Amino acid sequence: MPDLNITCEPRGDGLTFLTAEGFLDAHTFEKMEKTINALFDEGKYKLVVGLEKLDYISSAGAGVFIGAIGVAQENNGNLVLLNPTPNVKEVFDLLGLTQIFPIVGSEAEATAFFG
Amino acid sequence: MDELPVGELTITNDSGNLARVRQFMSDVLQKTALGVRERNLVVLAVDEAVANVVEHAYEEGQVGEIGVSLLADATRVVVHIKDAGKPFDPREVGAVDIRAHVAARRKDGLGIFMIKKIMDEVEYRFLENRNRLELVKFVKPPATGTPVAAPGSHAG
Repeated sequence: MPDLNITCEPRGDGLTFLTAEGFLDAHTFEKMEKTINALFDEGKYKLVVGLEKLDYISSAGAGVFIGAIGVAQENNGNLVLLNPTPNVKEVFDLLGLTQIFPIVGSEAEATAFFG
Repeated sequence: MDELPVGELTITNDSGNLARVRQFMSDVLQKTALGVRERNLVVLAVDEAVANVVEHAYEEGQVGEIGVSLLADATRVVVHIKDAGKPFDPREVGAVDIRAHVAARRKDGLGIFMIKKIMDEVEYRFLENRNRLELVKFVKPPATGTPVAAPGSHAG
């Protein structure tokens, strides 16, 4: 069954890089939500979410990031999206979220974003 | 209209079945005249519609059926989504102000917005105790190639 795999890599510079692989939909979104909430519980609010291996996202998946970005920003962090696939980027475009989420094309850009 | 039936799928209201719905839609949409991008978008719209039924139509713990069927001709693709859950007319859902949505940290309520953005027509009827959602996507004529330059213009 198509599923969602998430890897989580804390970096020394205070950033946490997540990688989402597979399908982020109404069936799998809670897995991403729990991962991000666990990072928030650890005081990690500077998140980079790698989307280059995410094949599919629906509004339920995008909703996780919508819920998280405000929490991150309120705690001097942010939620940066790295390299979304064209299908995933199109969903963000449709929802108008490309105006709201920082989207970068490389890890170096993501690191530079947090300055 | 003389659309021909292309395929039909019945699932139960379990979000674990959404992948099946998407696979079914991907397969049957390949038999239609829609381009790849439009097919992907229709898959997304149907996923959103079925996810809404899974989430909201039936009481917690109640097992219900959801039917997805597709008709098509050279000019359009018509998807019907049927369930026997609570009546719900998605046409009554208003537009989303995405900035307000994000500010309020609202994670829900985007599915219908997506469906309306993607599909050309969204119709709904409640008949014989069943919700019947009809989603229509028109086949766009293929691009005719490089536009003809106006007289005196330069191609650059």
